[in-house]
Amino acid sequence: MGVTVTIDPELCIGSGDCVRLVPDAFELREDLGVSVPRPAATTTDVELLVRAAVGCPTQAIRVVGADGDVLHAGNTA
Amino acid sequence: MTLLSSFPATIELTRYEDIRAALFHPDLSRTFDTRSYDDGNIRDGIVSIQHGAVHRARRRVENTQFRPDHLRLYERELFPAVMNALLDRLLVGAEVDLFSIGERLACVLASRRAGLDIREDDLDELAVIAEFVDIFSQGAAILDAKDPDAVRALVYAAYERFERDYVGPARERRQALLDAHARGEIGPEALTHDILTALLAHRADPALEMADERRIVREVATYLQGGTHTTGQTICNAVDLLFEAAAERPDLLERVATDRLVAQRAVHETLRLRPTTPKIRRRAVAEVTIAGRTIPPDSLVVLDVTAGNRDPELFGERPDAFDPDRTVTPDVPRWGLSFGAGPHICPGRTVGGGLPAPEDEPNDEHLYGLVALFLQEVIRRGIEPLPGRGERDTRTERFNRWAHFWIRVGSPRAAASAR
Repeated sequence: MGVTVTIDPELCIGSGDCVRLVPDAFELREDLGVSVPRPAATTTDVELLVRAAVGCPTQAIRVVGADGDVLHAGNTA
Repeated sequence: MTLLSSFPATIELTRYEDIRAALFHPDLSRTFDTRSYDDGNIRDGIVSIQHGAVHRARRRVENTQFRPDHLRLYERELFPAVMNALLDRLLVGAEVDLFSIGERLACVLASRRAGLDIREDDLDELAVIAEFVDIFSQGAAILDAKDPDAVRALVYAAYERFERDYVGPARERRQALLDAHARGEIGPEALTHDILTALLAHRADPALEMADERRIVREVATYLQGGTHTTGQTICNAVDLLFEAAAERPDLLERVATDRLVAQRAVHETLRLRPTTPKIRRRAVAEVTIAGRTIPPDSLVVLDVTAGNRDPELFGERPDAFDPDRTVTPDVPRWGLSFGAGPHICPGRTVGGGLPAPEDEPNDEHLYGLVALFLQEVIRRGIEPLPGRGERDTRTERFNRWAHFWIRVGSPRAAASAR
């Protein structure tokens, strides 16, 4: 099992910063106005994912490593 | 009437990392004081001072106007055409006000993005829009105004004219298009793409709190002002700092004229050294801890962006120097915290500043930002600041606002074919 990436849709404001930084791992859902992780996120470079999570304006991205360690929780519950 | 009531404590943060942490903190609000909010707040309900769920809902809708495909269209097609046409007409003579040119240029594009239908080649109309921007800018900086009551009265009167002459007709046209689209009479390509259209299309969503017509007027005014003010100020600051640095490093002018990446880094250095909002304020809505320091509820938190942007740990040994060749780590923006950070980060940062400047050759997707294009073009056209070049805006306590910036036009510096 790879990395787990989730985005809290209540927190996300659709800035698109994560998509610009790691387009393979995130995409914008224009109908919802928010970013969502793409399937390839599970195999994306963890360092890049954490950079995207750290830079997320609302800290909506949570990254959990393959071993279950929370690498970035942000403001997600 | 004062805008701020008394606060139990005022906390000032000056370190980059502390300011950044504060800007991300969900319990540090832009809503200062609910009493002044309810009683005469000229910015009531606008996105910039919303907090929490309403702010997020609004940004989800408004951020759609700042997608890379929109920005590419602006930077590669709309802006160069408008800029060159305007510079051909205005950048002539022995004494030219660069601030005025920059502001008018920014007015054209900000009007489009906000959703106003203006005659873009009509200099008189651009002067009217620039006057609105000036008034709304005073409103945005009312916390630093020398006479807040006068500013408040001025802004209220301006909103009325702005609605009557601009937002009202623009809203009518856009609503008719949206209605026709809803009836299946026109396709999505026939709709306008701007903030006003996006708000009208989503205003039935109660999460946006946009039922009040006057809020729509204020929101459109916010985007017009925000999209104009920083450009007008930053182009003057960039020229000011660039020529000051060129006294010791004369190659800088040629490099800016011939290499757009250098121009972009020059703009980022300018923003870092002279942020449009030198001090950002927040109110603690709960007890907050930043860098081990406890901030009591209802404290006023002052974030000194000018100091944070000169943190030597992040920006090197000479953080006060203007150095477009400065090295920073990838996780630190070259503009520091001048666009803010966290949920209220400036939505137009990529319009004005472009995408983060890469260390090596940029790829085809890179955006340099409109101010870099503008700076490069005026340097190519051979401008020089006149002695005693600038006049500061004396209506505000903010140190970095220009009212005029006088230049002359000399011999062209570089071929227009350079990047």
